[in-house]
Amino acid sequence: MRLTAILSMAAKAAFPKDYRYGTSRPWTIAAKRLNPPGKKRRKVFIEPIAYEDWSVFKGDTVEILSGKDKGKQGKVAQVFRHRNWVILDGLNTHFRYIGKTADYRGTYIASEAPLLIRDISLVDPTDRKPTEVEWRFTEEGEKVRVSLRTGRIVPKPVFQRRDGIVPQQWKDGPKDTSPEDTLEKTYTPSLKTLEEEVMEKLGIEEPRRNRKTYWY
Amino acid sequence: MGFIAKMAATSAGPVLTLCRQFQNAFRISTSLAAQQSALTWTKSHSYPYRLKYPLVSPNWHCHVGLVGQCRPLHTTISRRGLEEFFDIPENWGEATVKSGAPWTAKQLRTKSNEDLHKLWYVLLKEKNMLLTIEQESKRQRIQMPSPERLKKIERSMKRLDTVVKEREDAIRLLQTGQERARPGAWRKDVFGRVYWYRFREHALPWYMNKRYKRKRFYTPLFVTPHMRLRLEKHLRAKTRIQNKEREKQTALQEKFPRMKAQSS
Repeated sequence: MRLTAILSMAAKAAFPKDYRYGTSRPWTIAAKRLNPPGKKRRKVFIEPIAYEDWSVFKGDTVEILSGKDKGKQGKVAQVFRHRNWVILDGLNTHFRYIGKTADYRGTYIASEAPLLIRDISLVDPTDRKPTEVEWRFTEEGEKVRVSLRTGRIVPKPVFQRRDGIVPQQWKDGPKDTSPEDTLEKTYTPSLKTLEEEVMEKLGIEEPRRNRKTYWY
Repeated sequence: MGFIAKMAATSAGPVLTLCRQFQNAFRISTSLAAQQSALTWTKSHSYPYRLKYPLVSPNWHCHVGLVGQCRPLHTTISRRGLEEFFDIPENWGEATVKSGAPWTAKQLRTKSNEDLHKLWYVLLKEKNMLLTIEQESKRQRIQMPSPERLKKIERSMKRLDTVVKEREDAIRLLQTGQERARPGAWRKDVFGRVYWYRFREHALPWYMNKRYKRKRFYTPLFVTPHMRLRLEKHLRAKTRIQNKEREKQTALQEKFPRMKAQSS
């Protein structure tokens, strides 16, 4: 048992308490270069936002309130909750060379810089102006974002799965169980354990009894 | 025993080459040559990714005419379901294989014990198949197609195990009132720490077990001053953590005055 615990500890990556998370994922080479194991960087204070209060999701349209591209609206491409960051598509960009070799100067591309949540504001879908948003419950009990200025509901953006599967258009493969079979209820509660029930069904009779053992 | 069968994948297809002793006597008919592939009289050698040939038909025998010291050769393939270790032939050579969502605990709770028993073995065989594919891809140094299938299977099996444990727990609680499946007791170790000691199954009673009698479940008298020191150290560390947390909160309040007062 202890061996599996050790293996699982090695499998999941462990980071120090004051690890500075960046835009690249921690297991990539770029992140490893920025945060080598012994390096201590100046602490970044992140405003703690509770999990239930988070209002910006991937695919939302938001407006920038301060910075280079102030007043522009864009779609959220990536959200980093550990640093309260948001990356918009094509906005707040700076330019850099990528794929530089010894003789080739590299491709000049525009790369987006992350924006803090505080400099971002959700956009009301009706009048397309930035608003403050609060979480409220509807009549049905659903939790929705409501803009405080107009009172309209800001709908949640359509969530696309990372593997590209759309559940409504899924076709079962040969090894998949059909939805009817999955939801079919075959369980009747009884005071028999699984072993006893299976032995009954298969007609196995076990007249032998275990030898007396001592538990201490 | 001078028989060695080698398989060479040429552009035309695999051709069985035998050792010189049998070469003249053995004639492979053209129709058989078209269907030939791995011999399974040793282990199963079918490689789903590089060689896309089916396993040998079970009716293929090669009877060799007697030439000199040649013995009659009879090779039948014993294929007792070894194909279940490999994927279905449609998926051979694919880069990604479609697979559905794993079983959830909620869905598994509606199934009877017999269904769960059968499902466990279905999942186990699928897992063995995927592990074979994984090992084979490592051996051939290519990417395994759709490795997320393994994770899905493992999660399904874990959830099935959880559901079965829940049912067992319920029956045991109803019939005996015991909360734990494995007996144990609170005991003190040599260092003065109280911990839950889990019992183990033995063939001998404890008073006849020499190794068990050497274990000390009491604290000697000379250890008691060290227990106090350990407690003091623990309290000091706890207070330090609490103070640090409080300082962090004040620093955050200064930096972010709009923040809500509570934060974990």
